[in-house]
Amino acid sequence: MSQAADATHAHAPTSTGIDHKKLIMWLFLASDCMFFGTLISTHLLYRKLYPTGFTDAEGHQQFIQKLFNIELTSFSTFILLMSSFLMALAVSAMHKGQLKSFRRNVLGVIFFGLIFLGCQVYEFTHFFHEGLTIQNSVFGSTFYVLTGTHGTHVAIGILWLILLYFYSFTGKLTGHMGGLDVEVAGLYWHFVDIVWIIIFTVVYLVEYLGPSGFWGTGLPLAQ
Amino acid sequence: MSEAVAHDPDFLAEEVRRYHHFITLALWLAAITGAEIVLIFLPMPMSVILTALSLMSAIKFFAVILWFMHLIYDHKLLFWIFMCGMVLAFATYAAVLALFSVQDIDTKWFS
Repeated sequence: MSQAADATHAHAPTSTGIDHKKLIMWLFLASDCMFFGTLISTHLLYRKLYPTGFTDAEGHQQFIQKLFNIELTSFSTFILLMSSFLMALAVSAMHKGQLKSFRRNVLGVIFFGLIFLGCQVYEFTHFFHEGLTIQNSVFGSTFYVLTGTHGTHVAIGILWLILLYFYSFTGKLTGHMGGLDVEVAGLYWHFVDIVWIIIFTVVYLVEYLGPSGFWGTGLPLAQ
Repeated sequence: MSEAVAHDPDFLAEEVRRYHHFITLALWLAAITGAEIVLIFLPMPMSVILTALSLMSAIKFFAVILWFMHLIYDHKLLFWIFMCGMVLAFATYAAVLALFSVQDIDTKWFS
């Protein structure tokens, strides 16, 4: 690590040499990792045990592959990745003491986060109208709980960033502690992004593998 | 960050270097996501696609935690704290998968 990098991440006067706020955030993220780990595991296991799709209100068998809209999900994935990029720029701007640049980038993150949430609301509404509810199938239960929990994390992140944005106008978001506050919020936001990276692959993309999906019953071979 | 550090030329040069890293990384992340979407529609064996998808997902995951989350620059302890959470999450999945995969349980042991 260069001297400048050392300066950016200068060891705090604590027993571990790490700022307590940052340490607590990493411990929280590690625990949240286990939380999402159980949700993703549950989804995958039940997907394996109950590979068929779901039955709508009229009693018709529906297929997950047909239900998903890969274009929309890819778009929201791209949006979330770019929001992570803007968050990294916001943290960097704060380290450099460039408050205006920080505000601009944070507004971008909030905007992209809202687009992501909008896509998720649209997706949930569409699925609901297609007959997939949280109660009518195992897939519906695990899917809504997993992606809904992630969406809640995104919403909390947006709220946090909005508060941080307005807090920056009070003049208190300066110096080492100001930089640390932004960095901790950034860690949370990036975590939300990496969880989506996993969800995008194991929940959405695997449904498209092969002519009948990874689970073998995505779509009938004749279609 | 103290104001003195924020005006240090070395520190600013480091931040500019990182800024370029972030841009490069964002482009790579977008490209990998694009490749993932193309990959699922290619007529290739499922095992190959699944391996490639897992690999690309892991690359994106570690790229974000190492660079965007600064783990590559930060204290090593933070990396290992996060890895503990990751390992426990994967171990939970493996354990439950193994549990659900048991087909022939000799019930006489439970009676």
